[in-house]
Amino acid sequence: MLEEILRGVELFDGLTDDDLEQVASLCQEREIAPGELLVKEGDRGDELFIITNGFVEVLLETPRRVVVNLGRGQITGEMALVDGGPRSATLRAISEPTVVQVIHRSDFDNLCDSNTRLGYIVFRNLAADLSFKLRHRNLSER
Amino acid sequence: MAVYKISYVVIGSDHPGGIVNSNERPQVGDQVKIGEQLFETIEVFELMPPRKDFHYIHVTCQPYNPI
Repeated sequence: MLEEILRGVELFDGLTDDDLEQVASLCQEREIAPGELLVKEGDRGDELFIITNGFVEVLLETPRRVVVNLGRGQITGEMALVDGGPRSATLRAISEPTVVQVIHRSDFDNLCDSNTRLGYIVFRNLAADLSFKLRHRNLSER
Repeated sequence: MAVYKISYVVIGSDHPGGIVNSNERPQVGDQVKIGEQLFETIEVFELMPPRKDFHYIHVTCQPYNPI
């Protein structure tokens, strides 16, 4: 059941069963073959991805390097969702099967606007996730 | 149910490491697959205090080379 999967994603920690049902109703499942791109750096982005199976590598194009692999329970694509800017990195599936849940920006914004308690919790968790990624980056560069 | 959000940093390789959720706390000596490669856990510590069911863990690992 998708709600149970979403319960294990930090972004949705603290949401009620009803909240999770609303979030689940926005999700569209997408399966990606190894090597297939989810997004390309520089493209316009209006989708958030929740990885439910497999791995996605985060790839910077110049100089070309992989900065992290994201696995089960991780979110990606959130920067474009927050700041509206172009994709900051390329995302590519590296294992089979890689499965993501996709949430469109407009749906996400509408839900947060209509349920501000949910919006507060999700954006607090989003900040915590970005903080965790920064800590990971700092540890990686020691 | 506890969820362990784990930051994996790889040493001894140019592998970029990863971030993965697990339902089990990692232990030194564990083997872990990040992407398509296998690694051995050599260090585990808590990165931040837990929040509700979520635990924030750092793992240092190295490429797994069975003897």
